[in-house]
Amino acid sequence: MIEQVYLIPLLPLIGFVVLGLFGKRIGNEKLLGMIGASTVGAGFLIALSIFFGMTGMQPEERSHVVRLFTWIHAGDFTADLAYRVDQLSILFTMIITGIGFLIHVYSIGYMHGDKSFFRFFAYLNLFVFMMLNLVLANNFLVTFLGWEGVGLASYLLIGFWYDQKFEGTNITWTGDAAKKAFIVNRIGDFGMLIAMFIAYQYTGSLDYDKLQTAVVGGLIPAHIITYMGLAIFLGCTGKSAQIPLGVWLPDAMAGPTPVSALIHAATMVTSGIFLIARTNVVFASSHTTLAVVTGVGICTAFFAATVGIAQNDIKKVLAYSTVSQLGFMFIALGVGAFWVGVFHVMTHAFFKALLFLGAGSVIHGMHHEQDIMKMGGLKKHMKITHLTFFIGTLAIAGIPGLSGFFSKDEILWKAFSSGSPVLWGVGVAAAFCTAFYMFRMFYLTFHGEERFDHHHVHPHESPLSMTFPLMVLAVFSIIGGYFGIPHAVGALLGHAPNLLEHWLEPVFADADKILNHSHAAHVEPIEYGLMVTSTVIAIIGIFLARSLYRNYGKASTEPTAKLGGLHALLSKKYLVDELYQAVFVNTFYTLSNSFLWKIFDVKGIDGVVNGTAQLIGGTAERLRRIQTGVAQNYAVMMMAGIVAVLGYMVFVR
Amino acid sequence: MGMDFLTSAPIVLISFLSVLCIVVDALTPKSERITFYFAGFSMLAAMLMAAFTMPNTGTAFNGMITTGGVATFFDILFCMGGLLTLFAARPYILRENVEHDEFYTLILYAVAGMMVIAHAHNLLITFIGIEIMSVSFYVLAGYFRSNTKSVESALKYFLLGAFATGFLVFGMSFLYGSTGTLDYTVMANNIQSGMINFPMLLSVGTGLLIVGLSFKMAAFPFHQWVPDVYEGAPTVVTGFMSTAGKAASVSALMPIAYAIIGESGHQVAGLLAIIAAGTMLVGNISAVVQQNIKRMLAYSSVAHAGYILMGFVANNEKGMTGIVYYVTAYLFMQLGAFVLVSLIERNIDKQLELRDYAGLSKKHPVIAALMAFFMFSLAGIPPMAGFFGKYYLFIAAIESGYTWLTIVAVISSMISVYFYIGLVVQMYFKDAEGEGIDAHQPGLAGLTLTVATFFVIALGIMPSTVEQIARSFFK
Amino acid sequence: MPSLQVLLFILLGIGAIATSVATITRRNPVASAMNLVAHFFMLFGLYLTLQAQFVAIVQILVYAGAIMVLVIFVIMLLNLGKEQSLDEKFSPYKVLGMIMASAFVVMMMSMILGKPSGYTQLSDKALANGTTESIGNVLFTQYLFPFEIISLLLLAALIGAVVLANRTAVK
Repeated sequence: MIEQVYLIPLLPLIGFVVLGLFGKRIGNEKLLGMIGASTVGAGFLIALSIFFGMTGMQPEERSHVVRLFTWIHAGDFTADLAYRVDQLSILFTMIITGIGFLIHVYSIGYMHGDKSFFRFFAYLNLFVFMMLNLVLANNFLVTFLGWEGVGLASYLLIGFWYDQKFEGTNITWTGDAAKKAFIVNRIGDFGMLIAMFIAYQYTGSLDYDKLQTAVVGGLIPAHIITYMGLAIFLGCTGKSAQIPLGVWLPDAMAGPTPVSALIHAATMVTSGIFLIARTNVVFASSHTTLAVVTGVGICTAFFAATVGIAQNDIKKVLAYSTVSQLGFMFIALGVGAFWVGVFHVMTHAFFKALLFLGAGSVIHGMHHEQDIMKMGGLKKHMKITHLTFFIGTLAIAGIPGLSGFFSKDEILWKAFSSGSPVLWGVGVAAAFCTAFYMFRMFYLTFHGEERFDHHHVHPHESPLSMTFPLMVLAVFSIIGGYFGIPHAVGALLGHAPNLLEHWLEPVFADADKILNHSHAAHVEPIEYGLMVTSTVIAIIGIFLARSLYRNYGKASTEPTAKLGGLHALLSKKYLVDELYQAVFVNTFYTLSNSFLWKIFDVKGIDGVVNGTAQLIGGTAERLRRIQTGVAQNYAVMMMAGIVAVLGYMVFVR
Repeated sequence: MGMDFLTSAPIVLISFLSVLCIVVDALTPKSERITFYFAGFSMLAAMLMAAFTMPNTGTAFNGMITTGGVATFFDILFCMGGLLTLFAARPYILRENVEHDEFYTLILYAVAGMMVIAHAHNLLITFIGIEIMSVSFYVLAGYFRSNTKSVESALKYFLLGAFATGFLVFGMSFLYGSTGTLDYTVMANNIQSGMINFPMLLSVGTGLLIVGLSFKMAAFPFHQWVPDVYEGAPTVVTGFMSTAGKAASVSALMPIAYAIIGESGHQVAGLLAIIAAGTMLVGNISAVVQQNIKRMLAYSSVAHAGYILMGFVANNEKGMTGIVYYVTAYLFMQLGAFVLVSLIERNIDKQLELRDYAGLSKKHPVIAALMAFFMFSLAGIPPMAGFFGKYYLFIAAIESGYTWLTIVAVISSMISVYFYIGLVVQMYFKDAEGEGIDAHQPGLAGLTLTVATFFVIALGIMPSTVEQIARSFFK
Repeated sequence: MPSLQVLLFILLGIGAIATSVATITRRNPVASAMNLVAHFFMLFGLYLTLQAQFVAIVQILVYAGAIMVLVIFVIMLLNLGKEQSLDEKFSPYKVLGMIMASAFVVMMMSMILGKPSGYTQLSDKALANGTTESIGNVLFTQYLFPFEIISLLLLAALIGAVVLANRTAVK
């Protein structure tokens, strides 16, 4: 079965081609949706059967490389189009196809009646294809193909409703948001490319195996490993929206909501986590890199969580919560607990997809209203959405028994035990903010006075195609955590095994060896204390939100506004966008517009003069100018170049 | 001598057919179509000849030209560029109502000149080839005689081109003075064995030669003519000049790089690295603020010259292979983009602003999709051809120790995404003001676009095929 | 004490520079053209001192004899006799251009003067190679290919002239 792994990405590719070429002719929404969803669903079934096939094997035999063909062959260097099926990639594949399938089903209802229905599903299939390439890749090159491909697909999907207005910093319509996402990601790609080149320079190959062997075997100098890790991490900050490249994700909410759920919550943004997990030995071998990852993770987790408090757009709250949760995952990776990071990817995929789809259901029922200040009291109108959303909110807040608790608490524990108490403290503070703003949003949306305009808005429950995925995801948001029960909890539950850690163990074996991690199920008593503390703090956050927002009415004033300047700063997202605009974008434009271009393009300088010449003088005057003016100036510039070249040839040896 | 005619068949054939073309032209005063077919047939024949003679590597005519090998690969490339330009040009000049036999004839001459450059094994031949090509380009740029911009473009190109040629010849004479020969192999041997007078003369001569070729290749700081000339010239001609023309200048530098740069160590490589870095940065940064699509593509063409120069900096098997691959990929994607521009423009210089492209995807989905496709390839997004071209060149530069240059290249290619994607945003994510623009029916240009698209995809999916052919030349 | 040949070379060189400067600084087009003719004669002399008789004669026949006559005809036909026709405005680029040109000259001079001259007299090779006979010999043997292929260049220029000068631009 493993040899047939290529079918998993191939099916969505076929879906993309069919939908893209014949979608308009097919026309029938049901059929289009079926094609889109079934290709991904079939992929999920194949992934599932491969997974069960793998469970029957010895742990060492579970890693397979399936070579399709040689993509690049240059001298002694070859890069195959090869897929690597192992514990890590099959897990991600199942998440992508499974959640992808549910989101496809959901989109059939959500996108109903859209004029470009077929285009949407074509793009979604393209995205799934690229994402699968990213995680199944056996070498950097195929990952990079997927990496760029998901960027492209997300660009197309963010700008899908390009004629809609969208409010962001210096952004007025969705097309700009798409462009911003694409370009910010390219800065991250710079790091990716550098990492690829380093890998090539030192191993003569781009295969992950070779890199791992070289790093473990000590063939690469330590400082180079550090550079490489930092370069990879730069790429990850782009894709996974971490400081300093996280600015694109909130604006990416301009896309349709299922897109936000699929790309900007469940799959694409976790590709940074995946890449670090895949190249774990590089990170494990350098304390500097690990420290940077932890630092960036904790800063992002905290700052994004605080920004979430002051947002009123339902999707932007979720966007900042995503950024914050991704920060948590990076903390886990940064302290060397790779499997915990992957664990949180999994649980987060369930509850965040649920929350986004729930938000989509609300937006759908509210006739595309996204401001939570204009909602309230939706509980009685949308019962299923309310209940599933509540489960998701509890999960993300880290209430014991739900999936979010297991993974988040394990991260906090690892941060405490492998990192420092400070790390734990800041993490708990971020968790408190998370609990607070999530329930703030929940109460503002579903409880309190109905603040919407009853004449124009008639809230209603969404169709089954939308609520069904919600219910499935709600179930997984509850049980998802039991695949990776932390040892401390497991000890209480009669030594319940940690299935996920055990499953992923071979993948991270080398890294654990480097970091001297042991897998002894040793439980420290303090862990229970910390667990109870963080849970209590989260519950305090929930009750604080409940007391402030449960009876929020039309006339109420926003309680957080009392924070004054701090609130303004938070709602403006710490002015990061403005800062980037002023420092980078404007500087660059000035450089391009007034300096480089004008110096080397004399027409720029003479623009005004030429313009008048064209107006009054006509052809003859213009021709005269060419003969006596501009062309000569170009010659002068060339002369300067020639003198410089000769100077170099004569004086530089 | 008889063997020489066989082994150098492509170049003999194209020269003969070029001369014959004038006769055909004169015999059929009423029919431009016949000249069109004749020019097309000539290039096709030369292309086939080149393919046949590819294994016959050696020299011919007293060591004046090389035969077979990479020269024939370039022959095929030039003929392909010429043919694609012909197909795209016919509907274009018919629309503008200025069809003359001479247009097709000049394209044929330019191709012949390029082939002479690619085959040159002697500085003199390189010079003659460059001049044949350049003279054809000067005239083609000013082909729209009633349009001021076109005439201005031709005149500027001619004046500055002559200026640059002066330095090129100056450099050649210095090289001759220093090494006592014009033959590349002998020159390489003389330099290697130290049989040179005035080492300084060699350095300065090389510098001047690089100046001259940088001008032809549109490299910084000799690129100032590019935006003006490319903007003013007829669009299909611009496409031809910026692709096949650039490839020809690259093929001129190849034997020189082998003979001189390879022997005189790191000094010249350092100079080329500086030029390459400047070219990439200035080209891409300047393109960001352009509002006219032809100017934007012109600056992008400057930037691509910078990427290509990286291969010369490496100056080894990998670098040269990368150059050949890149030039091939670049020819198809850039030419395709210019042909699309020619379909959209009106009355020679209307509808060329970026904002005219707003909402194009709605009105002309196929044109917009193809344009987006070429833009993504130019930006170097995998799996399009452009990505692998950059990849080969970057790897080559890193292997020869120019890591900083690669970093500059990666940064500047990120900058380039900004304006390539900007165009895609215009076409897909913006709505036209008012009616939106009409494009012309592609007609024969459809063939050009089909071929270009096919190659951009094929080179992206199977980069190894061309790469292996190219590498076999540099063993 | 330099030989007569070297002395002549230096004098003719100075003359060539002076006449070319005069060509671009004269405001009257006819005066410019006449200076250019004088410049060609200086070059003629230079080639002779270098024993390149064939090139020297061709220089006079082609440039001074044919091309300059054409140029002067054009000037007369266009009636460009007025002084201000070639007048130019001051521009910072001109200053920059002068600086750059001087830098170029200084660089060249320092390169040439910095090295002891290897040539104190002409080699015998130069004496033998400069004659019409030897040029004719190599032109039709070793340099046959460039000699033939240059016809393409001339044809291309010819076609170009026809295209640009053709009166019926639009049918």
